[in-house]
Amino acid sequence: MSATTQIARKERRALLQDQRGLGWLLAFSVVLSAFALLLISNQELSLLDNAQVVYMLAGTVTAAGAVIAVILGADAFAGERERGTLVPLLIAPIATSELVNGKALGLVSAWGLMYLLSLPYLWAVGVGGQNLAQAIFYLALFGTPVVLGFGYLAMALSARSGSVLTSLLTSLIVLLFTTSPLLLGPGLRNSAIGRALDAVNPFSGALNTYDAVIIDSDPFPAQLPRLALVLAWLAVTFLAARRTARRPRFR
Amino acid sequence: MKSLRQYLLAIALPLLLGIGTAQAADLSIELGPDQSNPVTPTTGDAMHFHSSIRNTSAHPVKGLVAWISLVEVTPGREQPMDLEDWSAHKAVAGASVAPGAALTTDWPMRLIQSGDYRVVISATDRNEHSVYTSPTLEFHVARKPVVESRRILPVAFGLPLLIGGVMVYRGWRQRRRT
Repeated sequence: MSATTQIARKERRALLQDQRGLGWLLAFSVVLSAFALLLISNQELSLLDNAQVVYMLAGTVTAAGAVIAVILGADAFAGERERGTLVPLLIAPIATSELVNGKALGLVSAWGLMYLLSLPYLWAVGVGGQNLAQAIFYLALFGTPVVLGFGYLAMALSARSGSVLTSLLTSLIVLLFTTSPLLLGPGLRNSAIGRALDAVNPFSGALNTYDAVIIDSDPFPAQLPRLALVLAWLAVTFLAARRTARRPRFR
Repeated sequence: MKSLRQYLLAIALPLLLGIGTAQAADLSIELGPDQSNPVTPTTGDAMHFHSSIRNTSAHPVKGLVAWISLVEVTPGREQPMDLEDWSAHKAVAGASVAPGAALTTDWPMRLIQSGDYRVVISATDRNEHSVYTSPTLEFHVARKPVVESRRILPVAFGLPLLIGGVMVYRGWRQRRRT
């Protein structure tokens, strides 16, 4: 068994068998449940059509997934350091890329679980409406690079700062900034600055694609520029994580 | 003497009965849908109606009050509707309309519930005892598939309970082992 697989299994076990990992999943499902209950308890919101609700839920799943990826990523190196397990890990015969890939596969498992957990919610709010299957597909296609990118970013900061708190706070600030389109709404984003931010913001890229395919039924080719943006985000953050993981700060 | 009584009666009767034909307002009300209204409206859609209240008398109308009414005529559910959720613009009040002039008003409405409806505009002024009404407009609001609680509740409560149950079970097993 390769070192990457071993590390990934350890990370996955921590998420599935550890009470803390299950606690994150519980928190994630509570967030989605609160959102769903809000929809049926408010007459104004209950009049939204299914596609609009599915779009909002897809954005919420991506944002919540990114938050948990940031928490797990921040723990990746700084958490090992604080628990005193980073040095044994670094002196073990494991290549940096294997270490990063193992941690990343742990993140993929976490996101995969969150994605699976979101499917019943998407079905509950979206069945009978338009483009539910597209929503599920595009949530995987665009949500995965966005969420993993935030996990990598937190991982890079975790290795760089050596502090869970510092990397967590910094990553959350970046996440809050990039998820601002979710808070601002399309009206404010129509300004020149809003459009410029949308063009480089991976979270906006995912959100705009959800909007285009779920509500407006746009075809796949129209989403390619945004797909390139989120993949570029994934590549840049992965390279940053790999680079900083070579020389993590552990003193 | 008889002619004097007839003369006095001719003056007093209109005053006693409050009939002032010279002051009577005469309003004609037209009502039409906006061109941008959806052809097959569904719940949640917005619709606009335009009314034109024309003063066809020779005297100005002061203190005009016009309001919109909505009546459900779905078989078995016939009832006047409370416009609370449907429209924030339910009336115009205090307007003055010169002879021959018209007061045009836009009546926005959000369709809250499916069914068959009739909308009508009514108007009166502060001196009149009559209420003038427009012809009614009838429309059907189709039901739109929206979020339904019977699908959401099992998921919204079931999944957190399931994960919470797994956590409790694991905690219990761990405590038993130690």
